[in-house]
Amino acid sequence: MTEDGERIPSPEETLRVIEQQRAATARALQPNPLRMYVPWGVAWLVGFTAFFLHYGLHGESYAPIGQMQALAVLMVAQIVAGSVAAYEIVRMSGHTRGDNQARGTMYGYTWFAGMVLMVLIALRVSPLLPPDLSGLLWAGGTLTVVAILYMAGGALWLQWPMFFIGVWIAAVNGVGVVLGAGWHALLTAVLLGGGQIAAGLWMWRRS
Amino acid sequence: MTDSAPELDPVIHAQARLRVMVTLNTLPEGDEMAFPSLKDLLGMTAGNLSVHLSKLEEAEYVRIVKTHKGRTPVTYVAMTKRGRAALEDYTRAIRALLDTAGGTA
Repeated sequence: MTEDGERIPSPEETLRVIEQQRAATARALQPNPLRMYVPWGVAWLVGFTAFFLHYGLHGESYAPIGQMQALAVLMVAQIVAGSVAAYEIVRMSGHTRGDNQARGTMYGYTWFAGMVLMVLIALRVSPLLPPDLSGLLWAGGTLTVVAILYMAGGALWLQWPMFFIGVWIAAVNGVGVVLGAGWHALLTAVLLGGGQIAAGLWMWRRS
Repeated sequence: MTDSAPELDPVIHAQARLRVMVTLNTLPEGDEMAFPSLKDLLGMTAGNLSVHLSKLEEAEYVRIVKTHKGRTPVTYVAMTKRGRAALEDYTRAIRALLDTAGGTA
């Protein structure tokens, strides 16, 4: 017996306790992938499918969806996804304070700055472009900010899955921008929307 | 009781305190955990956790910071360098015990 009257556990038991407690803490302090990745995946799948149906692959729409309607679908879905992710980040950051929290705050402002600048640039330039190129500027520019910030987030917290999701977004975005608005929307919906849903579910099953 | 048990750090060699140490060790250096979060993660009562924390603080394995958020008092707990080293030594000792046991069995 120890001085606290506890039975002395065997070394195996002790190692198991250490591993269980470590895993439980990691789960509580890391974002739940079902809330961080899956809603974004759904938002992109739905939103960019709407854009794809609007653009088509050969310059003709596949469904009677206007560019503004597609944009509305994407924006609403992204606002929902963003709110869920923000809730998750606030829930996590309530547990601790210190350097990690400061890191999170700076990272949050970096997202904000990136998105605001992207919107400013697109607002200035897009009136000069034909509609499909203007759409490509908005979508491609936004995904560039997202890709870079995922990769930077992976570097900050040493999270390889986050880094590779960023690499994946950058690659698909690059290919899509080269191929044009219709392909960009299709690839983003399937490979990035579907991909984030798959990645989120995989990370959730592993955790 | 094994003969090698006395080699294990008695401060950590109580399951409750071991779990406190493992939980705090998960945090990156420079981070502190709020007392209520620690209590919930461990499933302990506040009183029970306080007792274990003061033992760990006596050994200088954890640092307890009492501060205020607005007017409400809040307590944060963090692992010290000494605590991290002690937990590492303890884990190594447990592994060694296991290897010895495995070798003679």
